[in-house]
Amino acid sequence: MGKTIVGIDTGGTFTDFVLMVDGELRVHKELSTPDNPAAAIVAGLDYLGIESDDLVHGSTVATNALLEQRGARTALVTTGGFEDVLEIGRQTRQAIYDLGVTKRLTLVAADDRYGVRERVGPRGEVIIALDAASLADVASRVAAGDYEAVAICLLHAYANPEHEREVRRALEAVYDGFITASHEVLPEFREYERTSTTVVNAYVGPVMQEYLGDLSDRMPDARIRVMQSNGGSISLSAAQRFPVQTVLSGPAGGVVGAVEMARLAGYPDTITFDMGGTSTDVSLCRGEPARTSESSVAGLPIRLPLIDIHTVGAGGGSIAYRDPGGALRVGPRSAGAMPGPICYGRGGAEITVTDANLLLGRLSARHVLSGGFELDPEPVAAAMNGLADDMGMSPLKLAEGVVSVANTTMAGAIRVISVERGFDPRDFSLLSFGGAGSMHAAALAADLGIPRVIVPPAAGILSALGMLLADIVRDYSQTVMHTTEGLDPQVLEAEFARLEATALAGFELDGVAASDLTMERSLDVRYVGQGYELEVPAGGDFAATFHAHHQRRYGYSDSGRATEIVNARLRVAAPTDKPSIPSRELQGSDAAAAVIDRHAMVFEGQRHDAALIDRELLCPGNVVQGPALIVEYSTTTVVPPGVRGEIDGFGNLIMEITK
Amino acid sequence: MSPTATPASTEYDPIRLEVFRNLFHSAAEEMGVALCRTAFSPNIKERRDYSCAIFDGAGRTVAQGDHMPVHLGSMPLSVSAAIEHTTMEPGDVVIVNDPFRGGTHLPDITLVQPVFINGDEVPAFYVANRAHHSDVGGMTPGSMPLATSIFQEGIRIPPIHLVRGGEMVADVLAIVLANVRTPREREGDLTAQIASNRTGQRRVEAIVAKYGLDEVTTYIAHLRTYAERMTREAIRRIPNGTYRFEDAMDDDGQGNGPLPIVVTITIDDDHARIDFAGTAPQAQGSINANYAITLSAVLYCFRVIVPFSIPANHGTLVPLEVVAPDGCLVNAREPSAMAAGNVETSQRIVDTVLGALAQAMPDVIPAASSGTMNNTTLGGTDLEGNEFAYYETVAGGMGARPKADGLDATHTHMTNSLNTPIEVLEHAYPFRVVRYEVRRGSGGAGRYRGGDGVRRDIELLVPAQLTILSDRRKTGPYGLAGGSPGRPGRNVIIGRDGEREIPGKVTEQLAAGDIISVRTPGGGGFGRADGG
Repeated sequence: MGKTIVGIDTGGTFTDFVLMVDGELRVHKELSTPDNPAAAIVAGLDYLGIESDDLVHGSTVATNALLEQRGARTALVTTGGFEDVLEIGRQTRQAIYDLGVTKRLTLVAADDRYGVRERVGPRGEVIIALDAASLADVASRVAAGDYEAVAICLLHAYANPEHEREVRRALEAVYDGFITASHEVLPEFREYERTSTTVVNAYVGPVMQEYLGDLSDRMPDARIRVMQSNGGSISLSAAQRFPVQTVLSGPAGGVVGAVEMARLAGYPDTITFDMGGTSTDVSLCRGEPARTSESSVAGLPIRLPLIDIHTVGAGGGSIAYRDPGGALRVGPRSAGAMPGPICYGRGGAEITVTDANLLLGRLSARHVLSGGFELDPEPVAAAMNGLADDMGMSPLKLAEGVVSVANTTMAGAIRVISVERGFDPRDFSLLSFGGAGSMHAAALAADLGIPRVIVPPAAGILSALGMLLADIVRDYSQTVMHTTEGLDPQVLEAEFARLEATALAGFELDGVAASDLTMERSLDVRYVGQGYELEVPAGGDFAATFHAHHQRRYGYSDSGRATEIVNARLRVAAPTDKPSIPSRELQGSDAAAAVIDRHAMVFEGQRHDAALIDRELLCPGNVVQGPALIVEYSTTTVVPPGVRGEIDGFGNLIMEITK
Repeated sequence: MSPTATPASTEYDPIRLEVFRNLFHSAAEEMGVALCRTAFSPNIKERRDYSCAIFDGAGRTVAQGDHMPVHLGSMPLSVSAAIEHTTMEPGDVVIVNDPFRGGTHLPDITLVQPVFINGDEVPAFYVANRAHHSDVGGMTPGSMPLATSIFQEGIRIPPIHLVRGGEMVADVLAIVLANVRTPREREGDLTAQIASNRTGQRRVEAIVAKYGLDEVTTYIAHLRTYAERMTREAIRRIPNGTYRFEDAMDDDGQGNGPLPIVVTITIDDDHARIDFAGTAPQAQGSINANYAITLSAVLYCFRVIVPFSIPANHGTLVPLEVVAPDGCLVNAREPSAMAAGNVETSQRIVDTVLGALAQAMPDVIPAASSGTMNNTTLGGTDLEGNEFAYYETVAGGMGARPKADGLDATHTHMTNSLNTPIEVLEHAYPFRVVRYEVRRGSGGAGRYRGGDGVRRDIELLVPAQLTILSDRRKTGPYGLAGGSPGRPGRNVIIGRDGEREIPGKVTEQLAAGDIISVRTPGGGGFGRADGG
């Protein structure tokens, strides 16, 4: 067997494998081994019988270390007098109207933060030289401190990293743990966000180094790449140095896979909709996923470019209740996986969105995980009756209400990434994946005026597919802070040249030739005095592009107002050998062969006798006329009355939503 | 159907109710995003000192974003003033900042825009946003001076048209810009505010287009009674009785003080009377609050004492009877100075109201938080010859809770504005921050510890005029249930000749090289430290 690329997505329950064999996608699922995720990977590859490979791996090791606070014992070295920047943050509380508001995560306690005497100014000028005695003292205390990792973040280090380099050298002389400096991770201004990003990198560094080291030891011949939050992959060694870039990679893989399926289906402008048990992720893609550099995990900002995924706390497990004012509320409290929805029969007693779907026939009790997990509708009916009585409505009306309130929250999330960014959702398709999404997608699309829903085949392995398809991508940035007026083009050229040199050196380390790279320059631009920037391509009249973007996004622009460049950005990609997903010939439209049963479904208070369809039995060209319920291993799709769905050559179910 | 008509039925669909609550709230939030991202004042873009809201045709709040609590009850008064004093046509925008005609303090400029549906002659809705501008003229840069009359505090704008039929009223804009220190920035902020209102208008129009005006109007009325029910439920959770509490402002910056704020709260099932009789008369200095501010502070208190979220609309006001003697510190008359009422006195009103409620709900109410926003303003001319006006609030310690420590270094109660990042600050102003740290040990001791305050030291690279409006410099925030008070704040100038303490409210000219060190109060402790 020749060189095979395998996408591997380690999830909480399953480790998914996707690979291309003889022009066909091959999929394998292995039970995850949370204590040592590499074991499931090795087992899966053994099962598939493949050796010497290119692996692209999406891992939640860093994410989980962060969320569960199981990261490294970390020290932080700062400019003296600013040891508390990490703790003070932006001086706000996380919830305004909550007297019980909890403290934001800081990861490094006050005793583990060390100030050195030094100071650099905003233009990189040295105001106070790095004090040798102070540095020696800090280095020796850090060395004696039993730390697994050290983060270094000095004021204005993005403008002049020399002091951070000196601190690094001094630490390296006495300490052999993981060291990371802010100018390496994020050479951009705004000290809290840079410190936080750097500290997260240190905090998850040793865990990822160990994990990835173990993985490569077990597969010495494999070329392993690691999925990042920006939708691209990086080499194993780069991931070991910059693990913070993988922290939000889980959802990124899904979006990359989803976009590819949407592109194949002929609808590159897509809103992806990934609804799970406790939360829902949405993102907007115009040919490729939208990016942002504003995100946070567990309240900690991470300012790296990544796919702009907006998350809301509404999922299948969201709990429905009557609030003291008499309104029906859904979430953000969730029943999670344990005890889970009432119908799971694990002791859940509160009505969830999943329970409501079951009662409405939008989920089949016998067909979840191919029948491997039977749902119990009886206690659901009893609980629904109880709450319905309280609220003075019929149980079915309540169940539909639970679904529509949840949809309102999700519609709000879609508005955030579309309307608030200056895009009209009606110009997009809705691509649904994740366990619960396709039960809601058609109704949600109708609600937002979205004309079309795409449900890709094997939606449950979209993340692994995205990993298989991900290019090698690295993002570089540098704060410039210069007005556009009077800017010497050579200054900008020099910034980009520096970024390109850094990029080339990095890729050379990973064994990628310069000739294989594509480089994309962009600038973060704003009106002089604004606080937020818009990213525009660096070429041509970038200021004009900025005015146009500003007009689109915020409804006004002022070409007479001066603009300034905040950051220079360089995105460097090395295209990988992507398997092409084959299209199959269309069969007839008759889907009768896929109908396995009849099924009662409720829409707007009316009971419908609907077709129950097995997704696996549907062929390209088959047409499904709603009402119908399409079941498959990891998800269920609701085709409401009046909606027509068709399977395309790639196996996508395309539902046309008419008004 | 007129927008103010009572719905034909009090029957509501709990599902629709929630859908509409979500729709209007997200519309107000979206207005906020548009404003914050395009504004020019650091106060708006970095500190998020703004609020956005949607109103019905009678000027009653339908929804307000989760922005500044201090604007909760005061936004509708701006809209009412605009309705009362002007006639708004399609495409018009009314501007107002006059604290005696719907404003709060002069730096808060509110823009009100009508939304007409189906070519109706009267607006079915209004949208409005309020933003704290960096400078609106007056005695000192930043427009937060130690004044004794409103005339010293900056340009006072009664409700008048800024935009008519979609066109900027050039004369009005010219007058406003001629009276402020940084006109280009002001113009940018006003443009951002207009765009934010347009966003709100589009959202409201879309909601009406989808559901129809009748349905929307009906549910706005339902949302109002819904918020009223929620507020009544909140009051019902407080035992019946009369609870009195007194706290005080240190001084008014003119040598007068302490100035007591007294509240007597009477809970009668689902109705609450909050009476400020006994409060000091309006002050000579600028710490006066108007009724709108007092109402906002009271509303805030009743929102936070219950574990469910009460929507911010007109209905929340109905069961609350807020009474303040005319001409007192918390209901000041024209032409008293108002700059610090919004930012300082509002915090003490909260401390006082919560102090009274603590007697009724000892397991719920926290000890006093820092109780001051530590408003620091620096103005002057930078090395390139440009005028600058920098304004910032500094966080303090949160009061300890009945079952948890107070948080350190965080804004509490009536504000949640962000700090200006040091690296942003040093790019924009001729300053160097020399220290920014948690003021360890400033939180009050107790079974649960009050949160620590903050120390922020800024060195001036050019001469500048400093104005500080801060409080809790003489007495610390109170503890509860035997907990100790937090340490009072301090303002210190570190110059060539060493350190010297300056008052809580002060304005003075500083030299290049001087360091202004603001050290903010810690929160009060809860329960006796020995656990008894």
